[in-house]
Amino acid sequence: MRRYGPAVLLLLTGAAILRISLFSELYLRYVQAGLRPYLVVSGFLLVLLAVAAAVGGRPEREPHAEQGQHAEHGEHTGRDQQREHGEHGEHSEHDEHGDDQHGGHHSPRVAWLLTLPALALLLFPPPALGSYSAEREAAQRAAQGIGHFPALPAGNPVALTLAEFSSRAIYDSGRSLWGRTVRLTGFVTRDADGTWYVTRLLVACCAADATTSEVEIRNADADAPPADTWVTVTGTWHPKGRLGTDEAWPPVLDTTGVRRIAQPANPYENR
Amino acid sequence: MQNQRTVVDGLRVAVRALVYAVLGGTALLAIATVASVLGPMLALDLYTPPVAAWWTVFTAIAVQGVPFLLLGTVVSAAIGAFVPEEVFSRLLPRNQALAVPVAGAAGVVLPGCECASVPVAGSLMRRGVAPAAALAFLLSAPAVNPVVLVATSVAFPGQPKMVLARLVASLATAVLMGWLWARFGRDEWLRPPRRHTDPAATGLRAFTAGLQHDFLHAGGFLVLGAAAAATFNIVVPRSVLDLFTGSPWMSVLLLALLAVVLCVCSEADAFVAASLSGFSPTARLAFMVVGPMVDLKLIALQAGTFGRSFALRFSSVTWVVAVASSVLVGWWLL
Repeated sequence: MRRYGPAVLLLLTGAAILRISLFSELYLRYVQAGLRPYLVVSGFLLVLLAVAAAVGGRPEREPHAEQGQHAEHGEHTGRDQQREHGEHGEHSEHDEHGDDQHGGHHSPRVAWLLTLPALALLLFPPPALGSYSAEREAAQRAAQGIGHFPALPAGNPVALTLAEFSSRAIYDSGRSLWGRTVRLTGFVTRDADGTWYVTRLLVACCAADATTSEVEIRNADADAPPADTWVTVTGTWHPKGRLGTDEAWPPVLDTTGVRRIAQPANPYENR
Repeated sequence: MQNQRTVVDGLRVAVRALVYAVLGGTALLAIATVASVLGPMLALDLYTPPVAAWWTVFTAIAVQGVPFLLLGTVVSAAIGAFVPEEVFSRLLPRNQALAVPVAGAAGVVLPGCECASVPVAGSLMRRGVAPAAALAFLLSAPAVNPVVLVATSVAFPGQPKMVLARLVASLATAVLMGWLWARFGRDEWLRPPRRHTDPAATGLRAFTAGLQHDFLHAGGFLVLGAAAAATFNIVVPRSVLDLFTGSPWMSVLLLALLAVVLCVCSEADAFVAASLSGFSPTARLAFMVVGPMVDLKLIALQAGTFGRSFALRFSSVTWVVAVASSVLVGWWLL
């Protein structure tokens, strides 16, 4: 393990990265879409490095051995093994203190932490963030001023992201949503009093910076689906409150249709 | 006599081995049984929504950091293997007080987030760049490169002053920290990042060896930082902050602390800052100036590269300087 430690670690990390970015779209649960090419390149680079580490192995014997010691090794070949052993003991002691200035050819001990996310990604990829995270954070509304928004694209119903719908509902002085049927996609979150929302998390770079946008669903003929169910809803905007005020928040949709769907490949909306 | 001794010795070894085998075997068997029965039960009980969210945030930060960390270690290994030592001493002014601002401004050329800059700064020091200059580079690179500035202008549409304020405040902090280190810093705080391979080895072999080692080493600390950040992310709800939006002073300090615990990558922190709409522009500026310079993941990375005593001292002073400079720049520009 000592000999192949770095190779194993690099291979695990590279394989985990490739598994989520090249062989599936799981990376979308963790980072935004634009990072994919970089992930694929990094994955290949790590696998290459692992191969180099396994093949190249141990180019010099002991990196910190002085020339004189090398000579000694030669003379006492019988005790060589024992000596090597002693030196390895020293190594691990140093590594334990995070002080691995000698450790050219076996991995620093802290590097084994990499197995944690790598194995998690390979064996049981953590799920996308859902209603738990959405409910913990008060839904954010993008800070912007009231203004005239560009016209909505044609189409009936017109598919919008929750973020787009929310900012048009709250800040558009041109009222471009007026009279249009829209289609929104997200997962279900519910209040204690029975109100339910279609919710989506917004990710700018990685899941650590997720923020929430939500739209309240009214007049749906069916009962609210259980939390975390993915749905597509169609309906029309239900204006309330004055533009740009807290009363206008969260925006409301008079809903005519609710359809359950599978979780989309990209569970988040990108900014 | 001699023979008898060896027999007795042999017997003693055999008995000892037997005892160890029986004891060890029983213990292993017991552990295996308990684990196989309790393990799945415990795993199901423990895999609650918060734990699942913790794993997601934890892996997300690690995954997001890997490409940038790799970029940083590739640059640092290339500096170590291919750039001769004289180059930097010729490029940088001999006078440290001058070298610091030059190195700070040179941060513009490394288009990455903060994970990339730590290994690069380490390799610069190994290549004989004065620590003060290398540290100024370490602080400025993730904050003032074009990618980050463009992201900032996208996140704050119609507010070019925010971009300018971020550039000015970040550069000022980096240069000031460089000068502070040149004046007060002590070399014994800084565990010099030494080269671990044969110093004579150059070229491709030194490059791959350095790359392997640097990546594994820094990667371990990245995972450590990601775990800390995910824990804060799950334990402290962000809505706690809304209690403090009223007081301008508290809100600056609070967002500066939030930047430390959230560990948002410097290319995305502008978007997060823009979404913290309840806070004053100065507080949001502080979030963007502190974030790329001091956060949990960076402290872990610095502790791994330069030693723990350095990381704690350096990060705490940097935090104070960064907050002060964003307050001043915010008061002047915003």
